[in-house]
Amino acid sequence: MAESPEEIYKSIRKILWIGGLLAVLTGATVGLSYVELPTHSLNLLVGMILATIKASLVALIFMHLNHEKALVYKVLAFTVAFAIALFVLFYLSFSEGLIDEGFENPTTVVEVQE
Amino acid sequence: MDIPYTVSARPDTGLYNAKVGIWLFLASEVMLFGGLFSSYIFLRVGADYPWPVHELNVTLGFINTLVLIGSSVTVLLAWASIKLRKFGAYKVYMAITILCAMTFMVIKSFEYKAKFEHYSVTLTDGTILTGHLPNGFEIEFGDVKELSLTISGKTSAVDADPVGYVLPYLKGTAPKFKTQAGVEIDLNKESFAALKTEVLAAAKAKATNSKELPSTTITLVAATPMTFSVPMSKFLARPALDAKTFTFRDGTSVEGKIINDKMTLEVDGLDVRGTPDKEKSLAFNEHYLGTAWKNAFIHQRDEAIAEFKKEFDDGKGGTSRDPKKSATQQKKLFYVHIHSATPEGHAEEGGAHKSEAHAPVEEHGAAHAGHHPEVKLERKDVQFFSNFTPKLNSYYAIYFTLTGLHGLHVIAGALVLTYFLVCDGRRLREDPEHMANRVEVGGLFWHFVDLVWIFLFPLLYLL
Repeated sequence: MAESPEEIYKSIRKILWIGGLLAVLTGATVGLSYVELPTHSLNLLVGMILATIKASLVALIFMHLNHEKALVYKVLAFTVAFAIALFVLFYLSFSEGLIDEGFENPTTVVEVQE
Repeated sequence: MDIPYTVSARPDTGLYNAKVGIWLFLASEVMLFGGLFSSYIFLRVGADYPWPVHELNVTLGFINTLVLIGSSVTVLLAWASIKLRKFGAYKVYMAITILCAMTFMVIKSFEYKAKFEHYSVTLTDGTILTGHLPNGFEIEFGDVKELSLTISGKTSAVDADPVGYVLPYLKGTAPKFKTQAGVEIDLNKESFAALKTEVLAAAKAKATNSKELPSTTITLVAATPMTFSVPMSKFLARPALDAKTFTFRDGTSVEGKIINDKMTLEVDGLDVRGTPDKEKSLAFNEHYLGTAWKNAFIHQRDEAIAEFKKEFDDGKGGTSRDPKKSATQQKKLFYVHIHSATPEGHAEEGGAHKSEAHAPVEEHGAAHAGHHPEVKLERKDVQFFSNFTPKLNSYYAIYFTLTGLHGLHVIAGALVLTYFLVCDGRRLREDPEHMANRVEVGGLFWHFVDLVWIFLFPLLYLL
């Protein structure tokens, strides 16, 4: 990786800015987690979107993935594919209508109160 | 023979070898943590209890996140310094990175310790009380006149050792004991060893088969009745509620009468979400928290109902949201944080609305007396209790698994970076490009560790 000194100096400034941005985004995640959205699933979604943005910044800029060689991208393509498959499987496992199953006599153990 | 392509790029891959290696490794690490995150999802979706939200110390978690982000920045600056041949700066940045790693683990150890010392007690009616056990949980029983112990003929996991397993829990000074032969002894290591030798010799003499010696049960009669105070974990089996016989972990059994088997709990939380009849919760019995706290609970509940109706008023006499579907609202209704010894103090501090992001480490230190009511729970009312560890519920199980494995990765990464800082001085001077590549590769692993934490922190602490 033959990067010239000037490029390195510029990337140092970029690294510091991104570090600061990550700290700010973390603070935002903490703050938003205390704001009650219409459903908790929305809170989860917002939190995970923020986490993905932060992770992308770390992966692309800190881990130099924005200008990596083709082989690394090919390796990671498998990782991404399997990770997506994993999470799709969860979603499917909770979907109805795929196989015969279900509650015949749903019982409530504890009455959820007003 | 020199390892090839440590600096120059391999023609077919276009990369130096270590970089290919580390990315292959990181790809597999993604699947490792991906599997554990999957477990988190399944455990959360399938949980039959309210999934804890904001129950961990958010402040400490936030600080740890900033510490890791900072260390990611410094490890990158360390790499840049080598590229610019600023070796002094490189060493400083590396040292800061490693210090950040140690800070992370130290903070984590405080968090873990607080969990080990914090207890959750589920009563038989589903009420959960959380708090601390300032005296541990011991059963005190007295009127013990003799020790009955079994000396095994062969090496056994459970072999009598009254000096190590029984006497430490005796209250007061040890009396003299009379052996079956009528000899009066002071029971200590030497006298018991001598006794054991005697018994084994007698067993050998009686043995028909020299390979397997029979076990001998002997009785030691105490000169004066003894009283013991034994922590629950020091019994071989949990004594029944009306137990008259108690067995220690070495197999020694005694007969006695229970004097006190109450669990003294310094209460800091009351959770009636799992209690069918909340106002009649066992926790509100007069000899436990009493009517004063029951009224404080009713007051908090009614206020939360009113606030909810106001905030989500749909203008037609109802609410735009269903309180039964809001886990946050259920918690506001039925989870009481107890920060003061009396309900009056609790109301003054605005108990119900107090932020949960307090630091339990400071609060439950030495100066916690007077901030929590003390309750002496009877064993018959306790269904289950545990400290905040995997045994308690699946949330803490996955919390310790995820953060524990992540913590091990932090330690491993810190060790590698320490090696680079301390042991590669020669390589730094003679082949700085190679050193830069080593630091880059180590840094990649470090960024991955940071990346995992970026997902862990919100999932476990915030959401």
